[in-house]
Amino acid sequence: MALFAVAAAGVVTILAVVLIVLVLVVYLVSIILHLRKITAGLAEVMGGVGEIVQKSAPVNGVVKTINEQLDTGVDLLEGLLVKKAGIDDALGLIDGIYPGSAASGFRKFPESRTTKPPRIAEVYTRGTLTLARLGREAPIAAASPSGPALRNAEYGSAAAAKLYPEARQARPSSHPRSPVVGTASPIQYGPSPPDTISWGRAAPEPAEPEAPAPEPPAAAEPEAPAPEPPAASEPQVPAPEPTAPAEPTTISWKRG
Amino acid sequence: MILWWLGDAILLLVVLPIVIYLLAGVQRAAKSIPEKVEGISKVAAAGSRDLNAVPLLLTTQDQVIKTVAGVANYGGSLDVILDDV
Repeated sequence: MALFAVAAAGVVTILAVVLIVLVLVVYLVSIILHLRKITAGLAEVMGGVGEIVQKSAPVNGVVKTINEQLDTGVDLLEGLLVKKAGIDDALGLIDGIYPGSAASGFRKFPESRTTKPPRIAEVYTRGTLTLARLGREAPIAAASPSGPALRNAEYGSAAAAKLYPEARQARPSSHPRSPVVGTASPIQYGPSPPDTISWGRAAPEPAEPEAPAPEPPAAAEPEAPAPEPPAASEPQVPAPEPTAPAEPTTISWKRG
Repeated sequence: MILWWLGDAILLLVVLPIVIYLLAGVQRAAKSIPEKVEGISKVAAAGSRDLNAVPLLLTTQDQVIKTVAGVANYGGSLDVILDDV
């Protein structure tokens, strides 16, 4: 009985160990198969990652160069704008085109961050600003930003005229009035025959000497003499070829 | 003898379930990895295709350099044409 019990216990132990080993084998083989799949998949992934690394290798240098070039361009344009328009007007122009951008100011001009931009764009369009700045050096922002708007939208021309010196306006008060025409006009113009031009004569004051008609200013300007046609008796000489080289004229934009 | 039977019982009722539980967990984890690896592989391939346009950055770089040079020329011209403040 005891021997049978010992034999039974031993058999159960052996069965348990065999069972455990079988379980281990089954699961470990399954895990090994999965790990092989993983290895194959990772090899494929490494190929793709290698391509990515290879293709993205020059990106840093190229992007860095592009950024440096763009920074140079921005600095150049900002410097030119500030040089030509002044820091105040430049900020006003920038803020007019991109509202709110003047708060960040210009990169190379730290004082621009604390400068209050004039309200240029509220009263002038871009074209007006450009023409005024290019042509007349108008003090557009002289009264801004604390003053009232410089330009009345309904009477824009009158408001704009106040911006410029009086000498440029050539007020009509300093000019003679327009001539009077009609039967009661002081100067009577007779009917002109065809193909002729009749200049007016002062009818009521014949004693007054006639002032010579001023030549138009264009006539007073020296004109290039027209080349005389060759005489008929002269032998025709072939026109000399121009000796100047046919190269295009080179214009240097740098200050001498 | 009792201890032997007790050992058998522990072996069958405790050790074997624990072994099975642990191995099943490892197997589940190992089984889930290949799917994710396949996903990563697809993403890597797609990323590689997306980077096919990277060589065009060299063209962009040249164009930017030329554009900035043109801007510099225009700026120099404006500097000559326009008076300073």
